[in-house]
Amino acid sequence: MSGNVKLSVGGRILNRVSGGNLLLLLLRRWDARVALAILTLLALSGIAPGLFVGPLQTATTAEAAPLLPPSGVHLFGTDDLGRDLLNLTVHGARISLVVGALSAVITLLLGGGIGMIAGYRGGRADALLMRIADTFLILPTFVLALILAPILRELIGDQTEILGIRTTLLTIVAVIGITSWSSTARIVRSQTLSLRERTFVERARLVGLSPMRIIARHIFPNIRTVLVANGIVVIAGSILTESTLSFIGLGDPFQPSWGTILGNAQSAAAPSLGAWWFIMAPGGAILFTVIACTIVGNAIDELLDRDVRVRR
Amino acid sequence: MKLRGWLLGRVGGALATILMVLLLNFVLFRLMPGSPDRALARNPRVSAEAIAAARVRWGLDKPLFPDQLVAYVGATLSGDFGYSVKYGGREVTSVIGEKIAPTLLIVGLGEIIALAAGIALGAWTGWRRGKFGDRVGTLSALILYSMPYFWLGMLLVTLFATTLGWLPTSGISTPGGPGGVAGIVDLLRHAALPIATIALGLIGQYAILLRSSVAEALREGYVLTARAKGLRDDRILRGHILPNALLPTVTLAALNAGYVIGGALTVEIVFSWPGLGLLTQEALQSRDYPVLQGIFLLLAISVVVANLLADLLYSRLDPRVRHGAAR
Repeated sequence: MSGNVKLSVGGRILNRVSGGNLLLLLLRRWDARVALAILTLLALSGIAPGLFVGPLQTATTAEAAPLLPPSGVHLFGTDDLGRDLLNLTVHGARISLVVGALSAVITLLLGGGIGMIAGYRGGRADALLMRIADTFLILPTFVLALILAPILRELIGDQTEILGIRTTLLTIVAVIGITSWSSTARIVRSQTLSLRERTFVERARLVGLSPMRIIARHIFPNIRTVLVANGIVVIAGSILTESTLSFIGLGDPFQPSWGTILGNAQSAAAPSLGAWWFIMAPGGAILFTVIACTIVGNAIDELLDRDVRVRR
Repeated sequence: MKLRGWLLGRVGGALATILMVLLLNFVLFRLMPGSPDRALARNPRVSAEAIAAARVRWGLDKPLFPDQLVAYVGATLSGDFGYSVKYGGREVTSVIGEKIAPTLLIVGLGEIIALAAGIALGAWTGWRRGKFGDRVGTLSALILYSMPYFWLGMLLVTLFATTLGWLPTSGISTPGGPGGVAGIVDLLRHAALPIATIALGLIGQYAILLRSSVAEALREGYVLTARAKGLRDDRILRGHILPNALLPTVTLAALNAGYVIGGALTVEIVFSWPGLGLLTQEALQSRDYPVLQGIFLLLAISVVVANLLADLLYSRLDPRVRHGAAR
């Protein structure tokens, strides 16, 4: 906790593995290849869902009978309103992935910023910031998110769109960011602590660079890779949190995510009607995304570990 | 002396966290759209004088700090969590109070089963690391870990309740069901699937963590010594590896309590289990903020206490912790 922890943090200092390099290294592993292929496929359907399944079906445009099991016409079956579940799930990819990715960006910005400031400043600022981070780490932040989302929505208003994303979803993005930055902050802080003692940072200090410049020029480039590795895990966590919030009913019915579809399935009593297909498609999509992210995250971690070991 | 200082530090830390939660709750309370002066101000037929009178009545004319904050903390500490909007002005404490036991039942049993099974699975896969059994075990742990709790619950209902008809689909008891021993059996039959969902959702992360600590411990010198002494495998695992490898899992179980509760809330929704989770959803739908805040405060305090207990347990199990921390 205190500032006298020097290189004993066991922090890995990584600067050799850069973006393109990392991708090439990842593609050498078969598990990462499969995971990246799944993520690419999901991302493609998120970018252009219309290309694959046409426009999003609504209660008025749905033509099929309700709760049809999977068949040649409806590969994944239909929901209680007769909407095609393949259509809903592919369109859900866009919402789930965009909300997940945006939340991850906010989480990384908050966590990275706080972690770097705490680690570089040390002393009281560090102690206070890490105290707050620890509080967020153990609190039931999910319950906090449940309270914050409707409050934020009430304050912002939920009838508008920003860049094609409805503000209901943006409140979810904000809430996930606010409640999940702490583990990133901890990781980044421990990296920063060990970087701070390195000669190149000391030299920058001697030359008279301001703390902000040192953080931007010398600390940040060296923790970028750590942020990427953490970012993948954060995306998976954000997608899970988003799906849970939407399942409970905080999603947007006009822009349904996978969690919203599962929430619909629950209110339509799909489990007790035996309509397994209503549950399978959106839930399977969440599962595949999270597993793929976890595998890629683990692979990056192992690569970085090896990278450090080789150079030692 | 050292130990006492360490203890005081831990308890002080826990108190500081609870204070921070109260502060957070206070800020939320002020942001809340349901706050009386805000709600009144939106109504054009309420005069400015009436609003001012209401503000005085609610103490909102006083400065936020320290008056309002002190009043809030004082009321909360004396057990006054405010009144529920949905349940006709009943006290929040009584609305929440009756939902605690059902939640505690499924979360507690689920957590115990998950710890036992997760430790067994983790020790087994860690011992066989790199072999076929390890691959299968680790993959299953990863899959369980990546599933949203509520989805797992929905799958279990579809399979075991609807399709196979072994267990009831929802609720806590059969309406008009039997009392006595038969009533308890009925309760357990209803609780089985929610407990299984929570346990399965948790096993994954405990197993993954224990596997890596066992695998790490296997490389230690004392394991080699134990082998050289000719100890049997299960004695090495039980007597030498597990006591060391269990520590991170104990911490994770405590650190995770907040996360587990979040997941358990959604499980209750799937099974219409009348606990805090179902209450949360109802409160959310009717924007019953006092109840939501009460639930958050209750869960936050429980989690902080759980962490404190885990810290104490940890220091009993591993003397290095308290000596290292007091140095």
